[in-house]
Amino acid sequence: MTDTTQIIAGLTSLVDPGRVLTDADSLKHYGCDWTKKYEIKPLAIVLPKTVEQVQAIVRFANEHKLGLVPSGGRTGLSAAAVATNDEVVVAFDLMNKVLDFNPTDRTARCQAGVVTEQLQQFAEDKGLYYPVDFASAGSSQLGGNISTNAGGIKVIRYGMTRDWVAGLKVVTGKGDVLDLNADLIKNATGYDFRHLFIGAEGTLGFIVEATMKLARAPKNLTVMVLGVPEFRAIMQVLNAFQSKIDLTAFEFFSEKAVQLVTAHHNVPRPFDTATPYYALLEFEAVSDSVMDEAMALFEACVENGWASDGVISQSESQAAALWRLREGISETLAPFIPYKNDISVVVSKVPDFLEDIDAIVGSQYPDFEIVWFGHIGDGNLHLNILKPQSLAKEEFFKRCETVNTQVFETVQKYNGSVSAEHGVGLTKKPYLHYTRSAAEIAYMKAVKQAFDPNNVMNPGKVFDL
Amino acid sequence: MKVLVAVKRVVDANVKVRVAADNRGVDLTNVKMAMNPFCEIAVEEAVRLKEKGVATEILVVAVGPKEAQEQIRTALALGADRGILVEAADAQPLAIAKILKAIVDQEKPGLVITGKQSIDGDNNQVGQMLAALTGMGQGTFASEVNVADGKVKVTREIDGGLQTVELKLPALVSTDLRLNEPRYASLPNIMKAKKKPLDIKAPADFGVDVAPRVKTVKVEAPAARKAGIKVKTVEELVAKLKNEAKVIQ
Repeated sequence: MTDTTQIIAGLTSLVDPGRVLTDADSLKHYGCDWTKKYEIKPLAIVLPKTVEQVQAIVRFANEHKLGLVPSGGRTGLSAAAVATNDEVVVAFDLMNKVLDFNPTDRTARCQAGVVTEQLQQFAEDKGLYYPVDFASAGSSQLGGNISTNAGGIKVIRYGMTRDWVAGLKVVTGKGDVLDLNADLIKNATGYDFRHLFIGAEGTLGFIVEATMKLARAPKNLTVMVLGVPEFRAIMQVLNAFQSKIDLTAFEFFSEKAVQLVTAHHNVPRPFDTATPYYALLEFEAVSDSVMDEAMALFEACVENGWASDGVISQSESQAAALWRLREGISETLAPFIPYKNDISVVVSKVPDFLEDIDAIVGSQYPDFEIVWFGHIGDGNLHLNILKPQSLAKEEFFKRCETVNTQVFETVQKYNGSVSAEHGVGLTKKPYLHYTRSAAEIAYMKAVKQAFDPNNVMNPGKVFDL
Repeated sequence: MKVLVAVKRVVDANVKVRVAADNRGVDLTNVKMAMNPFCEIAVEEAVRLKEKGVATEILVVAVGPKEAQEQIRTALALGADRGILVEAADAQPLAIAKILKAIVDQEKPGLVITGKQSIDGDNNQVGQMLAALTGMGQGTFASEVNVADGKVKVTREIDGGLQTVELKLPALVSTDLRLNEPRYASLPNIMKAKKKPLDIKAPADFGVDVAPRVKTVKVEAPAARKAGIKVKTVEELVAKLKNEAKVIQ
């Protein structure tokens, strides 16, 4: 590699004055995501403002064989946006404008650094709705959302980020600028590279602009929380409601999660009687008939023994308070330093899968406490194991490594995914083969080779070449 | 003891309200409506009194549009026993107080609980007017309510502290934010509430003229804040503070 000072000087000539940072605080801030468990070691941080500047950075990296790591809102949970190996971090914070709005197509053309909540707010101001939503929406950026195909809490109704990308502008690893799909709905002209860049975690190139689709705004979103006596009944509740009502969300969490959230936040219990599991349903109560239908479904669930009690929001503030029972979980668990996994199987296999994992942890790690929650309507489970007070952090993590293998073997048995919506990055790289076959991974590498022959784009993430 | 609770249907507290195009009020088309949060606290307090065995019956009254039945049903689901809706859209505080007085005369409750104010008009008048019209003692802005021996002890949130008053029953209490945390309406109770009695009345049934006494001249949104600017030098900042903002000499 060329001398560091020369590299920095070279980068400085490519972007606006003061947009190359090398101080220790900046390196630490821009060099890592939420994982916080790797040693952060970027060479420099560069903040481009235009597509041309991004292109110049990528060409420069090819010339000097520099690794580039993209950085958005840095809320990732898989260490995909983490620089550990003298890479140059390309942070998109300054490319944060909504460039264009088209009311007929119902699309908004955004720079990669637009924050999710910014697009949500923009859509709301236009009387529309950007439906991809999750706890980190206030910080996460569209470029990162697209690069990990972010999901969140409304997937059951609105799908993943992938479903809302109408077109992309990317700078490939070779330094070419490509316009992918030109925002067309119908475009049967061969490979749709847009979908290759979605979920690629910056390994093929950088997303610099995205045209996002917007939906009509939902009406009178109403939240129900039901007490469910056993896990299998959650699926029965899901089936019953989905056959009659278009749910906008279906989440579940355990009594342990409710206890922790209500103890740490100013959130009331949904109802006094404790039940092993809870289902949170959200739907648009657009008319009395929808409400009557929902009531009748609840009655049927009670008669069948699938639900024992339940509440329904009477106002938006109550709906928000009920959501906090679910959305407060991650934050509440953080001080317990939980072992986390974000896994998925097809919806119909969720109960068997969950039982298997419970059995493994229960028999081999009886001192471990599991907190289950997740977007069960789409087969996505968040497995959290709390560190027992008596166990040291290092010892706990060491034992969790062996849990990992067993969990992922179970995922493989059910043809599930070792990363449902958090991505692969560094954390799931060793486990990719549990979900992807060797042949598939070989094709993935060949695709990378085509777009990024010098391996400058987020090297060492997802797989090793 | 019978407890009468007054509730009001208002724009949901979470809704960002917009001024109507004619500047005569707030645009209510397709806006989520809900029970006034202070009324929710009033209902919760009544239900707790019933659970303690202090109250024997809870009567919930709303003066409002036909749709205010929804808010009465919510109160019934939370534990009230029966409801009365007096259909009168846009009734002003004095008219509401007069209607409530007529109902108090008929029903003779031992305690009346209202919210301290509704979040739409922010008038903070109905409770006080009703107390005056009926001659009941009033304990407003309550953060604690204790009923015993024909009296109610009310802790009031006042500027700089708390004040405790003791009132002879029947009395009126208006609720402040910290009195209690209202529960959710449970689904089984919502279904049961459908069978509870709800009478629909008109202001004329009580001989009350609801014609408005207060005229709204104009409703305007607050002026938008001007965007800030960046200054290049300290000198420029000082000059602006001196000459434009005039905050330093």
